[in-house]
Amino acid sequence: MAEKMNPVGAVMVMGGGVGGIQASLELANLGYKVYLIDSSPSVGGVMGMLDKTFPTNECSMCILSPKMVEVASNINIEVITLADVLSVEGEPGDMRVRLRIRPRYVDVDKCTGCGDCTAKCPVKIPDPYNAGLSTTRCIRVPFPQAVPGAAVIDPEVCRWLTREKCGNCVKVCQAGAVDFEQKEREETISVGMVIAAPGYKPFDAARKTEYGYGVHANVVTSLEFERILGANGPTQGHVVRPSDGEEVRKLAFVQCVGSRDTTVGNGYCSSVCCMYATKQALIAKEHLPGIEPTIFFIDMRAYGKDFEKYYTAAESRHGVRYVRGLISGIREKQRTKNLLLRYADEQGCTQEEEFDLVVLSIGLEAPCGLAEGLGLAVNGYGFAQADPFLPVLSSRPGVLVCGAAQEPKDIPDTVVQATAAAGIASQALHGARDTLLTRREHPPQKDVSGEEPRVGAIICRCGSNIGGFLDVPAVVEYAKELPGVVFAEERLYACSQDAQDWIRQVVEENGLNRLVVASCTPRTHQPLFRETLQSAGVNKYLFEMANIREHCSWVHMQEPEKATRKAQYLVKMAVEKARRLEPLAEGESDVIPRGLVIGGGVAGMNAALGLARAGFPVWLVEKEGELGGLARNIHFDYKGGDVRAYLEGLVAEVEREELVTVLTGHEVVDVGGFVGQFKTLVRDGEGREALLEHGAVILASGGGQYQPVEYMYGEDARVLTQWELERRIAERDPSLADLERVVMIQCVGSREEARPYCSKVCCTEAVKNALALKELSPRTEVFVLYRDIRTYGFREDVYREAREAGVTFLRFDDDVRPDVREVAGTLQVRVPDANLGGETVVLGTDLVALSVGVTANPDNAALAPMLKVPRNAEGFFLEAHMKLRPVDFATDGVFVCGLAHAPKSIEESVAQAAAAAARAESVLCKDKIVTEGVVAVVDAEKCSGCGICVQLCPFEAVTFDEERKVAVVNTSLCKGCGTCTAACTAGASRLQGFRSDQIFEQIEAAASAWHD
Amino acid sequence: MSDLKSIVREKLRDGADAFLCLKNEEGTVLPALITDADSPDLELVEVGDSRYPLGKILIDLLREYPDKRFAVLVRGCDERALVELSKLEQVDLERLVLVGVACSAEEAAACGCLRPYPSDIALGEKVEAAPGREVIDEVESLSDAERMAWWREQFSRCIKCYGCRNICPMCFCKDCALEEPHLVEPGVIPPDFPSFHIIRALDMTGRCIDCGLCEEACPAGIPLRSLYRKMQDIMEDKLEYRAGESAEERSPLSFLGSEQDIEKLEE
Amino acid sequence: MAENIGGDNGDEVRILAFLCNWCSYAGADLAGVSRFQYPTNVLDVRVMCTGTISPYFVIKAFQEGMDGVLIAGCHIGDCHYLKGNYMTAKRFGVLREALKFLGLEEGRLRLEWVSAAEGEKYAEVIRSFTEEVKALGPSPLRKRAKAGVEA
Repeated sequence: MAEKMNPVGAVMVMGGGVGGIQASLELANLGYKVYLIDSSPSVGGVMGMLDKTFPTNECSMCILSPKMVEVASNINIEVITLADVLSVEGEPGDMRVRLRIRPRYVDVDKCTGCGDCTAKCPVKIPDPYNAGLSTTRCIRVPFPQAVPGAAVIDPEVCRWLTREKCGNCVKVCQAGAVDFEQKEREETISVGMVIAAPGYKPFDAARKTEYGYGVHANVVTSLEFERILGANGPTQGHVVRPSDGEEVRKLAFVQCVGSRDTTVGNGYCSSVCCMYATKQALIAKEHLPGIEPTIFFIDMRAYGKDFEKYYTAAESRHGVRYVRGLISGIREKQRTKNLLLRYADEQGCTQEEEFDLVVLSIGLEAPCGLAEGLGLAVNGYGFAQADPFLPVLSSRPGVLVCGAAQEPKDIPDTVVQATAAAGIASQALHGARDTLLTRREHPPQKDVSGEEPRVGAIICRCGSNIGGFLDVPAVVEYAKELPGVVFAEERLYACSQDAQDWIRQVVEENGLNRLVVASCTPRTHQPLFRETLQSAGVNKYLFEMANIREHCSWVHMQEPEKATRKAQYLVKMAVEKARRLEPLAEGESDVIPRGLVIGGGVAGMNAALGLARAGFPVWLVEKEGELGGLARNIHFDYKGGDVRAYLEGLVAEVEREELVTVLTGHEVVDVGGFVGQFKTLVRDGEGREALLEHGAVILASGGGQYQPVEYMYGEDARVLTQWELERRIAERDPSLADLERVVMIQCVGSREEARPYCSKVCCTEAVKNALALKELSPRTEVFVLYRDIRTYGFREDVYREAREAGVTFLRFDDDVRPDVREVAGTLQVRVPDANLGGETVVLGTDLVALSVGVTANPDNAALAPMLKVPRNAEGFFLEAHMKLRPVDFATDGVFVCGLAHAPKSIEESVAQAAAAAARAESVLCKDKIVTEGVVAVVDAEKCSGCGICVQLCPFEAVTFDEERKVAVVNTSLCKGCGTCTAACTAGASRLQGFRSDQIFEQIEAAASAWHD
Repeated sequence: MSDLKSIVREKLRDGADAFLCLKNEEGTVLPALITDADSPDLELVEVGDSRYPLGKILIDLLREYPDKRFAVLVRGCDERALVELSKLEQVDLERLVLVGVACSAEEAAACGCLRPYPSDIALGEKVEAAPGREVIDEVESLSDAERMAWWREQFSRCIKCYGCRNICPMCFCKDCALEEPHLVEPGVIPPDFPSFHIIRALDMTGRCIDCGLCEEACPAGIPLRSLYRKMQDIMEDKLEYRAGESAEERSPLSFLGSEQDIEKLEE
Repeated sequence: MAENIGGDNGDEVRILAFLCNWCSYAGADLAGVSRFQYPTNVLDVRVMCTGTISPYFVIKAFQEGMDGVLIAGCHIGDCHYLKGNYMTAKRFGVLREALKFLGLEEGRLRLEWVSAAEGEKYAEVIRSFTEEVKALGPSPLRKRAKAGVEA
């Protein structure tokens, strides 16, 4: 394919949600030009609207917004908003994407996002960011953290565009950014690959008329409720009812709205609703402790990493009430607008209960444009059809798909797939790596050491945003008098393109060696000004910002005099710090362009192949004598895929691949070094050792299977594990046809005190085997004894098929267990049937199949300290961040995939392996690792070697030099948090750019605000 | 029960390269490092009732002679200091032989420390002592304003001689925050209230082993020991740690810990 | 030189806030974007992580005459550096007790977890902290002499 010609070193990412953002950042990091397109006016997607994320209740915007800022400031990512894909043509390596780009009516390059236009716009519209629960104006920045942070006009309702009246925004915009002349246009962009990450479409709750959405005021969707919970939402997080603004006491969640529901055409499970409802219930309780949330559900699908603990804590510790029952109807009480929920309980009796507010947990539907624009094959539900073993491969070569567009999934799984897709795109295009990258060229840096500080202070008016509230000339005059300041002037917009040229000139003409800009927040604008300073030949770390907009003019609008004085002192603080700034060097360290993968199972082999396909040699170390790992026990998957054949093909490919060196029968004995330069010692069975040098390492050490001691396993040959049964099915064992009855028992070794997690795969495994048995022998009765059936996503189809095929599912409660015994030579299973109110059902059976759980590999305990990575309580490796860094560790250069991380299915392991390979590739593809200037340093002269900073570093970046008895910071690993520096009583450890003496000066400057 | 002299001989015979203790030279008590049994100093060694932060000397000795083993005479406080110093990588307990002295009833009562005896007692009889809490109780009975006035009065006598720091067995920093001009203005006596003393109190938190040498050394009679003891009480109350108690457990201020620790703290 | 922030009587409370870059500074930014109003009595210092805030900084602030010091960082579990704020929680717990023992009112030092989405919370924290410090009056640690010389 792509090898024949020169591939295009660019990728188009369609969709700017968390998946698209992740894929774009990853691709830019891997050396490709990225076009990130979104049909809405800002990137951010649904995640940008979420209040918190499960299972850590982390603030969604806190973790997403830095990624959005990164997208905005990366010159190799071109964000194209309001764009839709019309068509995709070509072959992998050479694709052409035709886009239709709708007009924004605002020039993104000129607009500073100041909001003056919004204040004067007369047209109110429901705010899409708040799911329509509040209003905004026709011209507005979509939400505060939007990227691009520019205003957009809704042409449907704009007075000028509809009637040529008003035009207030044009008049008020001092940047001249409003442009009614913009027209819809088409553009064709050449790329090597396309990644589709369009996300999903929320189910339209109004289609379930029995729930009265849109009719009853106090019935809201989960997305709306998410905004109600949001501290940045329409009610600032106050849990109140739309009808009367009263605080909610009784809150109900109705699960499976638009999911697991063939009547609306959605037979699949939406995979995320059980957990987000649990999260919303918890957050609601956090905001309003008196609230009583009830979740009405069918099966509680807490199948992901740490979900089960989250769910059980919600129920037992936080008082969230879970009720099994499908809501059949919702009625509204006329006077109170309260809601009466009708449902059938497990015994089949109809119940009715009154609530103040009802949240419909709406499902995820396939997005538009997969078939039409991208030309992808879709499944019966409209989701992109994907390769059974690597679901990011779509039906169309050159187009990869990730996230919920392929199957409903949560954020970490989306991030995994997005990273995997970026890696696979890179494998196809690596011949063109770096060819289309823009690199900023900078003049050589002037040596300012020994010079007296010459500070320039630029005070920004930000149109009227600062200038309208503060006396900017007074701030300028004040700045001029400050020690060290040799230049001070104001600008209308310090961030505009022409202002950058002007700043460059000012720096050169005045011989400035320090720059202070007093304008908006450094979180978004510091990179721009640093870049400008650097382009003027001055080290970019000789820059400081004073935030006189977000932290001053906008929050003290009624007190212009005091605010002006405050701004003066904010400037003084910045100047005082700037005077003491020193040029910082960005460190560089070498990279050995070779990978190491630990573990030769499905995940490890895929990870190794991923690196090899991207052009990097890799060692694959496997403890056992042969490759394959646990997957050797699996014969077919729930979709009917031939796992055996897949595995054989995979092993053959690994053995064929020249860049992969397989070391079977080898154990890892020791790991030294750090990102870019690891040294790993491996040993074979005969004690021969080899030292491997590599730049990155992927942990794919796999998992194990719970060895049952219960249910007569090992005592009676008729009690098997599912894998043992599966082998007999695969071998088409003729004796299976003689079985009268088979009983399967779920959760053996899972969701118990010793292993309080869900093993994720066993429900699907049981359903799969049950169906296969039925196929082999339709007369065999199959019973599945379960607690919750967790067939998430499209696995739900198989569950339904099994029921239709006559498999009987019998639920038992969490606090009881079935009993297996031999009675007069026959096996008997007794189980208290939850649906019969706990009445014991006795089943004589020919066979009992135990769905045993997944366990962590005991070897992880030895690997963890060698690689300096943590494990969780269950022994699985603990990733750097549950949501956004699912294959990384805090320790750079070490990545994880497969069962080493958590229980998961084969295709999930394969996707995670591809993601880990992509992350490792992003290390190996660099000539040098460049580190930030803001890092900790230890002054060896002052260090007494107490070792506290070594223990305090969250990133294992500080080590102890035994020879010199001092601490040493590895700047390649340091992230610049400064946690170590605050513990150093000797002042030997310092954070560059945030040194104590600089902060002391800031404090003194702040204090002088009152006693000058 | 054997006497100190024979213990010194025994330890030197049993593999210690030197014995560190105190000697009395015509009424002047000094540290003594005995390296062989024929040393004339051996005749001068005594337990006596003087105290000296021998740990401070050991830090240097251990660094200077990386292959030597030292025996050392320790009271309860000395042992606590060595335990804490070992966690801070300043001494290597593996190379130390501790010879314990229990403080006499009189000494214990006068000193008032929490544990006036080491874990192994070679000399003296173990006595429990009730630590004096009078100063802490007095201060705690005052209102905020009265407390500040009380301490202001105490600290106003400080002549910034640094005696408290210099004698402290737990102070080993090469650069001291008490000499950072941004925090303690040079040349100003008494030092700014309360920065000098609170900085030292904070640095001692999770570290002070309550030997009381600082207070003994203070020419102005500032109740420093009570201040530092209160800091250890705070540490125990908030973070369940008291310096010098365990050789394994480290101060929670020196490691990140788990989310559960923080949840507990915030409750 | 400009007049002091406190206005004519110079008696308004003085508050210094240390904000971590990733959550609380962002929360303060959001308060601004959302135009949530709060008193002018606060000046802020941006740090990358609250874990870098040495107790010395707080001592210094009080020594310089601040009436209140606020430390605001990511909620536990949200730290951009994983666990930097664990140290903040521990150090702050000890520091506040120490200052209290010396007679500085507890209310003058505050630790708050403010996320990037909690603009309103940030504004409310500043409002309520200002009120609280105002009720306590000027800090007994204000440098009376120095202020007099420079005034």
